[in-house]
Amino acid sequence: MAAPAVIHVAVFALYPILRGIGFSVFRMNLMQPWLHRFIGLRNYTDALSDPAIRHSLAVTLIFTAACVTAELALGLCLALLLWADNRFNRVAAILMLVPITVTPIVVGLIFRALLDPSFGQIGYWLCALHLAPPQGLLGDTHTALATMIAVDVWEWTPLSALILLAGLKSLPSDILDAAAIDGAGACARLLRIILPMMLPSLFLVLVLRVTDVFRTYDIVFAATGGGPGDSTNLLMLTAVKQGLQFFDIGYGSAISILMTLAIAIMAALIILVLRGLDRRYSAS
Amino acid sequence: MKRRSILAAGLASAATVGLSHRGWSQSKPFDGMVLRLASCNDQFSPGLKALSARFKQETGITVIVDILGYGELQTKLTTDYVGHTKGYDLATTDNVWAPQFAEAGYTVPLNDWMKRDAAEMALDDIYPVLFTALGNYQGKQVAFPLAGYANVLAYRKDLYAAAKLQPPQTMQDLVDNAYKLTDRSRNQFGWVANGQKGAACAQDWMQYLAEIGGVLVKNGQPVIDSPLNVQSLTTYRDLFQKAAPPGAVNWDWDGREASFRSGLAANMQTWSVGALGYFDPAQSKVTNSAALMVTPTAAAMKPRYGIGGWGIAINADIDDRHKQAAWTYIKWITSPAIHIALNELDACSFLRRSELRDASLNRKYPFLPVIDESFTHGDPDFRPRVPQYPEIQDILGTAVNSALVGAMTPAAALAAAQTQALRYF
Repeated sequence: MAAPAVIHVAVFALYPILRGIGFSVFRMNLMQPWLHRFIGLRNYTDALSDPAIRHSLAVTLIFTAACVTAELALGLCLALLLWADNRFNRVAAILMLVPITVTPIVVGLIFRALLDPSFGQIGYWLCALHLAPPQGLLGDTHTALATMIAVDVWEWTPLSALILLAGLKSLPSDILDAAAIDGAGACARLLRIILPMMLPSLFLVLVLRVTDVFRTYDIVFAATGGGPGDSTNLLMLTAVKQGLQFFDIGYGSAISILMTLAIAIMAALIILVLRGLDRRYSAS
Repeated sequence: MKRRSILAAGLASAATVGLSHRGWSQSKPFDGMVLRLASCNDQFSPGLKALSARFKQETGITVIVDILGYGELQTKLTTDYVGHTKGYDLATTDNVWAPQFAEAGYTVPLNDWMKRDAAEMALDDIYPVLFTALGNYQGKQVAFPLAGYANVLAYRKDLYAAAKLQPPQTMQDLVDNAYKLTDRSRNQFGWVANGQKGAACAQDWMQYLAEIGGVLVKNGQPVIDSPLNVQSLTTYRDLFQKAAPPGAVNWDWDGREASFRSGLAANMQTWSVGALGYFDPAQSKVTNSAALMVTPTAAAMKPRYGIGGWGIAINADIDDRHKQAAWTYIKWITSPAIHIALNELDACSFLRRSELRDASLNRKYPFLPVIDESFTHGDPDFRPRVPQYPEIQDILGTAVNSALVGAMTPAAALAAAQTQALRYF
């Protein structure tokens, strides 16, 4: 019964990763095929010792941490607000799907246009009211990353909210009713009953969003191209540039494998932390 | 009898049709062949598509034109060449790709065919600089010139007249005029250029750099942080900060062009390919006041007008018969009459002296003398034509943008770029 799933994983996940690992230990630039040769871990050491890659890693980690934290917190708030089953909440839940359905590259282009200080409907007024730097929010190294985080949060918070809302709706009402009868306040119910019982949903949101945000490419590429300077230069932009602009498949693959490892480590940490919390709540 | 006559007439007609068909086939040695052409989505691409029906009528060869964005074209072509998948027989080729393609042997060297067909193709009629700029690497012609663009200065006659200024003769004039024509209270800016990180800001700055005599690669080594280059970037940064519209640091070609067409900016250096749009009321608010001139250079410096555009190359992997058919297409599309027809379809992409003298084209494009002057004194090397060009452009794209947004000083940004560039030489 599991054969289709195993075949799917083998063909669409395992094989590409193995090929990527294979490429990453070669000097392999498609524009210089006569220089292809085995170089062991050289691409990895080059990547890890490259200040630009280290800077991109730092930017990516900040971007990931900020986006996931904000999306989780806001998503939980939205889910709690929409928990009650009424017509308004049902319509609101449907409307929340709109940002998710827009292609990220289009979201990047839309916000780039909206925030432009000369032509943008938002950017012009923000600059006129001195609420944004003269170059605009996306043109200043101090505000560009925060702005891109806000754009990502705008697009993906509804996804977190919908997953968490599904988790909330599946909670057994008898336990919550019993807690209310016992006099537990809203905060106590949230912290001691709702959140512990929602750990599976929280885990799903965290893992989905961490893996997705860490690999962000199109939304930032369209809005800032990694600039101004290097302020929004995420690791994925560097990997794609090496692979598809310079055609340095070996080096690009090494960066991608390092990213895969980083994502695996973060996912493992999330599992460990949530498992620990689960044990703690189960014991209490 | 009557029936016999009809039969005889029918047989005669069939024989005539058969003979004429055989005769037509003989003049169409590649009849029925299909060529796939990958074209960048520049202004000439709809014309290429439209003219392919005429080519089929004349030669029997079907040309399927696949129009792709710049990045997609580069990726598809490279993977096609590397994988030897023969996906495309012909491809429009940016001049900066030519060195890499030439070194890897991905496209057919055209020198012998050009020598053989020189008279038939009237090669003397094509501006010599375009052969160098659009597909030549170390004497090997790996792409044939298809669409020549000149770097020109677009400016606003009305603003110059109101300020009692003359159009700039030197780069210093341009800088001075840009400041004088900036009036933030009226939302009027003296100058605009690409500021967005990446190819956009790197390519624009390279043009300004060349116009004051700066170079990026000398004797096969990068010299990115030379004093002249630092001086150029400092001036460029100051222009961005004091004379460019807000937000220009995040604009690529579209934003820059929009700012000129909307009347926001008074001066802009640009590729001539987009110039037709300045005089089109549907696209521009400055139809009556826009003008083009050759780009200014540093005082006492020999003119150095940037030349760009596209060549057309033949995939080295395809069989000889397809190569010959592809060469037939190149000869046809770049022939004087057909290239004029291409420009009548708004291509705004020129090759030939005769074309720039054509009366109907001069009516359509009132700025052809400027392009003629630019092509006559053009510089094919304002962007270094070296295999490491993509890496240099990327490094400069970050360095220039970092200087423009104040994240680094011009000297520090170019010093960092020099260190990075050395890794590729």
